[in-house]
Amino acid sequence: MRNVTRRLFLSAATGGLCVRLHAQDVVYQCPMDPEVRSNTPGICPRCGMKLSSHIPEPVEFPMDLTVTPRSLRAGEKAQLEFAVGDPQNAKLIEHFQIVHERLFHMFVISKDMTYFLHDHPVLGSDGKFRFELTFPKPGMYRILGDFFPDGATPQLSVKTIMVPGGSQLAPALTRDYSTRDGGNMNISLVTDPAQPYPGTKTIMSFEMNPAEGLEKYLGAWGHMLAASDDLIDMIHTHPFIADGGPQMQFNVYFPRARTYRVWVQFQRKGMVNTAYFDVPVKDLG
Amino acid sequence: MSARPKTLWMKSVALLFGVSFAGQAHDIITTKITFDREIVRLFNVHCISCHREGGTVFPLATYSEARPWAKAIAEEILTRRMPPWGAVKGFGDFRNDRGLTPEQFELIVDWEEGGAPEGEGKDIPTAPKFPEVSVPRHPADEIIVRGDLRLSRSIPLDGLWPVMVPDNADFQITAELPDGSIEPLLWLQNYKKPFGHPFLLRTPLELPAGTLVRGVPTGAIVALLPVSVPARQTGKLSMPHEHD
Repeated sequence: MRNVTRRLFLSAATGGLCVRLHAQDVVYQCPMDPEVRSNTPGICPRCGMKLSSHIPEPVEFPMDLTVTPRSLRAGEKAQLEFAVGDPQNAKLIEHFQIVHERLFHMFVISKDMTYFLHDHPVLGSDGKFRFELTFPKPGMYRILGDFFPDGATPQLSVKTIMVPGGSQLAPALTRDYSTRDGGNMNISLVTDPAQPYPGTKTIMSFEMNPAEGLEKYLGAWGHMLAASDDLIDMIHTHPFIADGGPQMQFNVYFPRARTYRVWVQFQRKGMVNTAYFDVPVKDLG
Repeated sequence: MSARPKTLWMKSVALLFGVSFAGQAHDIITTKITFDREIVRLFNVHCISCHREGGTVFPLATYSEARPWAKAIAEEILTRRMPPWGAVKGFGDFRNDRGLTPEQFELIVDWEEGGAPEGEGKDIPTAPKFPEVSVPRHPADEIIVRGDLRLSRSIPLDGLWPVMVPDNADFQITAELPDGSIEPLLWLQNYKKPFGHPFLLRTPLELPAGTLVRGVPTGAIVALLPVSVPARQTGKLSMPHEHD
């Protein structure tokens, strides 16, 4: 409050100069990437979102997930219903910002990591997002919701669904950087450091071959979802460096010493290529 | 060259190349995330209730208090030793959840890795107030679970409270309801006895008679906490056209 009063007084006293000084005081930053900042309004060159002058408060918005029918069965259709609440008063949030061309991104991963889905529940007139899904087998699934309540900050919220009728084994992942056929191109991976370790930046460089015809998918050159083998850590990110050429770089901080399955998606000539790599992250020493 | 002119020369060169020195002479700042603008807001919500003057442990409320601990803070939060929550997010939904989200992890790690800069004092938010809170007590009507337990009566579940659990325990507790559905209740992970807090559901969960509560391993004890007030008074999402 004191700072605002001081600026108003200075503006009255010195007119135009202080208007410029005040403008320079304001920092506009990308809601998704806090490293992208400017002293003038604009658009983030990385994700295309409008820069905001608002200092984001790190508040978590609760997400409810209701599954119908309650007694789920593998192989049968189920409806997933997502409702986002205001953490201050529990009221339903009905207004969201578009991020990467959608209001809500959903990822579904099975405990044994053989099932991966990236799709987009649709917002109904009642303010809830819905998606019809058939779970392929019994067991545990982790559901990740990526959404941006209007006036707040981007949110990544995780839920768990247990499909009755059996269980899945946790996967025993080992290092696998072998080149993948994503559909209509091969995708290869190199990490720096070659052996990632937790808590520090891992540069993940992907090379696409052939690369002619690469297109943005949902407004980004690539999408990544990395999950620890115990499905506790879920990382959702986009390229740090990408220009439509054959190489793209993601910067990832793996939190713990586990093996992570890293799914990536790139689009070429209308086809979404999906591939995964298994990346062991080990403690130093 | 004496130390002081050498330092001034180095700072001039650094400014020339657009690199700034933090208060620590050896830091090079490579991030725009600052303590005063971003990190203190996170700490106010997740850390300062304990880490403050008059709190239970060393303070982290100001830059001078937090900066020396920046690397340790990043390590503690990445391994989930801090905040002292001890449960995996998204398995059960808790109104007293103190765990950090992936974005919050990344903000702190980016700040620390980028040289942990202070920022500008004008960005510091109002310091939070912490009213006296009573130490939670186990209710008289809690239901003790050892191993698997089939409920003989329905209970409106308000939460769970580890009573006797080994340090660094890692197990999932689920409720298999008579209609065949399975509710994930709590996934303890990296839990430590000194945490000593209950896990209170955001929305009470009706567990009918016949529900099988599973997952508490041999030697561990967890208490089920029934709701002690009517369900509609608890924190439930309110929908525009809901009829009570």
